Amino acid sequence: MIDRLTAALARSRADYTEIRVERTWSTAVTFRGRRLESATASEDQGGFVRALHAGGGWGVASFTSLDRLEAMVVRAGELSRAVPVDPPIRLADVPPHQADALLDLDGDVRGVPIAAKKRLLEAYNGAMLGVSDRIVDTLAVYRDEVSEYWYVNSQGTILHELRPDVTLSGTAVARRDGTIEKGLESIGMRRGWNSVQDKAAGFREVAERAVQLLDAPMVQGGTYPVILDPELAGVFIHEAFGHLSEADFVYENPQAREMMTLGRRFGKPVLNVGDNGAAPGLRGTLPFDDEGTPTRDTTLIKEGILLGRLHSRETAAAMGEPPTGNARAISFRHPPIVRMTNTYIAGGRGTFEDLIGDVKLGVYACGAFGGQTMLENFSFTAAYGRMIRDGRVAELVKDVVLAGNLFQTLDRIDHIAADFRWNQMGGGCGKAGQFPLSVTEGAPHVRIEEALVGGDVGGPGRAGGP
Amino acid sequence: MIAQLVELARRRADGGADALWRRFERTTAAFEWGRLKSAGTTEEAGANLRVRHRGRVGVAGTTATDVVPDELVGRALASAELGEALELAFPGPPPPSAHLPGVATFFDRAANASLDDLIGIGRSLLTRLEREGCRVNVAVERETTATRVANTAGAGGEYRGTGFGVSADVWRIAGDDVLVVSDALEGADLPSEEALAALVASINTRLDQALRVVAPPEGALPVVFTPAGLSALMLPVTQALSGKAVLQGISPLGAKVGEQVFDARVSLTDDPLRVGRTASRPLDDECVPSRTTCLVERGVVQRFIYDLETAARAKTESTGHGSRGIFGKPVPAYTNIVLNDAGAQPAAPLQLGGGLLGDIRDGLLVDELIGVGQGSVTGGAFSHPVALAYRIERGEIAGRVKDAAVAGNAYELWKRVGGFGNDARWTGSRCAPSVLFEGVSVARR
Repeated sequence: MIDRLTAALARSRADYTEIRVERTWSTAVTFRGRRLESATASEDQGGFVRALHAGGGWGVASFTSLDRLEAMVVRAGELSRAVPVDPPIRLADVPPHQADALLDLDGDVRGVPIAAKKRLLEAYNGAMLGVSDRIVDTLAVYRDEVSEYWYVNSQGTILHELRPDVTLSGTAVARRDGTIEKGLESIGMRRGWNSVQDKAAGFREVAERAVQLLDAPMVQGGTYPVILDPELAGVFIHEAFGHLSEADFVYENPQAREMMTLGRRFGKPVLNVGDNGAAPGLRGTLPFDDEGTPTRDTTLIKEGILLGRLHSRETAAAMGEPPTGNARAISFRHPPIVRMTNTYIAGGRGTFEDLIGDVKLGVYACGAFGGQTMLENFSFTAAYGRMIRDGRVAELVKDVVLAGNLFQTLDRIDHIAADFRWNQMGGGCGKAGQFPLSVTEGAPHVRIEEALVGGDVGGPGRAGGP
Repeated sequence: MIAQLVELARRRADGGADALWRRFERTTAAFEWGRLKSAGTTEEAGANLRVRHRGRVGVAGTTATDVVPDELVGRALASAELGEALELAFPGPPPPSAHLPGVATFFDRAANASLDDLIGIGRSLLTRLEREGCRVNVAVERETTATRVANTAGAGGEYRGTGFGVSADVWRIAGDDVLVVSDALEGADLPSEEALAALVASINTRLDQALRVVAPPEGALPVVFTPAGLSALMLPVTQALSGKAVLQGISPLGAKVGEQVFDARVSLTDDPLRVGRTASRPLDDECVPSRTTCLVERGVVQRFIYDLETAARAKTESTGHGSRGIFGKPVPAYTNIVLNDAGAQPAAPLQLGGGLLGDIRDGLLVDELIGVGQGSVTGGAFSHPVALAYRIERGEIAGRVKDAAVAGNAYELWKRVGGFGNDARWTGSRCAPSVLFEGVSVARR
């Protein structure tokens, strides 16, 4: 394959050309309730070419038929010429790399019969269903893939990788009369079959919680001290801050650049944030990004001060900063764009108890059903919450939605515990039509001295059903 | 390829098979932060096969065009070994007198649009959207598709389609205030100059009105949701009207057919035969001829949407809503959702709120919310911060509000609608006017 790709490269008349080819084997098993909904094996393959003529824009081509490779190399060059760009696009220097990186498959999923995958998932699904008759529905999904990946560019980089990914997710739906609650378990790793064994306890736990939530009151909307558990804190830093640190947002936007000036204070000195694409064994981890740049640990906020940002070769050159290995594409169907890898809030000092000790009335927000950011504004739905009363964890509450302004909220983080952990979850990140990208988030327990918690905001229209 | 695939599957699967083959090619031009940045092309083709063997159903898909049909059939049969036992019946061909419904899906002007045409449209938008202190992104794309479906019962069909999309967003960052106003056009044909002008007017009007920031109101208030802002109220309803949710027992509307559940002025249809929409097609991805489905009529729930599988399990007929990609199995999916079909709208100058603001003393106009789709949507309860919303005072827009959230229960609100606007339009595959609801909870920080 490499010979074929380098031969195709030689046909390009553009000043810069890169080719990616991927072949992905995947299996997916889905249970809904006691019913096996599907068990399928798929094979997806295709290629991507990107070309740049001096003074031209990007010419890009993607295709599923590899017979079209040479024609697409030529076409990408033509497209680049067709879009004059001034000032010209420059790429930051990255030394050429040649690497054969076969990640640890940890039990190659391709060698495991799909019937065994079905049995594994059936057991985890059964763990949720077995909790109570209140569990009226479940959705359990097992998905694995191994991607063989080839990358070459006209500057001499030649990469061949084997990238595994395995994810498990479970949703338990509890119902009593008109009240419906759910619990969500999610596991994801850039590993193989061995890493998803013995996971039933987590599935059981989320189903139990869904049942408990049936009796839990809705949190009273208002402003509280809020403690985020490591899972929600990780989602928060990814969604609310991580996207702003992606340089494609700022590099050609003077106002955005001003807002994200390096050296600006974003938080109190307790706050340290980074993105580490080289951390071993995580879903966002790869040796190189999709432009052939080695991944690394990039500090974004140090002691509350903005110190760095995430770059592609293009944004790095435009801003005169070093490339960070964050140009990623979800597949051959897409160009690489600036993305996060494994984003984290670094561990601080003390324990969870230290964070809640002096809180008279607060909310402990745990897990994440989802989160969305519109730049400075964000909204996160916690899986569940607990009230904190007089320094102790008290009753379970539901419908905990955190909403706020990023700048104010980051600045109100006043205490970060030492109990850092990576959240090895499935799912992924979406940006510019590219979803889901494998990423990981990590954080310890984090306290926000004051945050708006949605929920019952009063007034009619909230209760009831059809 | 598809005839060969279905024929091979017929020989090896005792309960029949159906297949979809789809190819598309697309051209895009992208302007990033005010300048032309890239041009792209995409060519993709793939096949999806479903078989029923020994009473069980299996699925396989591939984009590897060099794949031997026999191998794909083999994979589908392997999937069926583990698959669910299901009385899945593949529909036969329509009687000779009946034809597939005619709907124009292919438009030469969209198919033949060149890269230079796309760039021209992008530039003209850019020129009209540029303003001091703002940055503009514009993307223009056109595509052609070819679809073939067939089954072992003799049904099948093929059609070509075109699609054309234009999207633009204007960013204004002032200090820590980030304002993004965007809009998009999506259709099967090349957009008219009037449609492009309407997109420009939509963005510029909302941007002009947003420059002034005012304090949000608070309490149970009249709130107008624009056609785009209506998503939070439409999503629970469309989810609940899917036969899949009904089968799972999680649809609050599951036992409500024939009951008055919504305001008597609410009607909802799904229309795959709407000319000029990209979701339109003469038959669905499971060989079922397309027809318009009335979901809610004058507030009364009429029926749910089904594909072949959910119909078989619910012991009813498919409504022609089978949708399948290259990978995975078919699922029930809407085509073009129309709320209160008002027919063609007069090309009146854009008036935010569609004429519903006049009687509002103090309230909110919501154009975009954050986090729609998170949490337990089907139950109807929602609570979202606003991304773009305006305060209404004495019948007029006073300015943009920040740091506000709206909450309510969609089903409660749909029971008594305050009014429908005269501004029905397509946002994606949904056509709806602005809608006024009374007593929506509005909270602020």
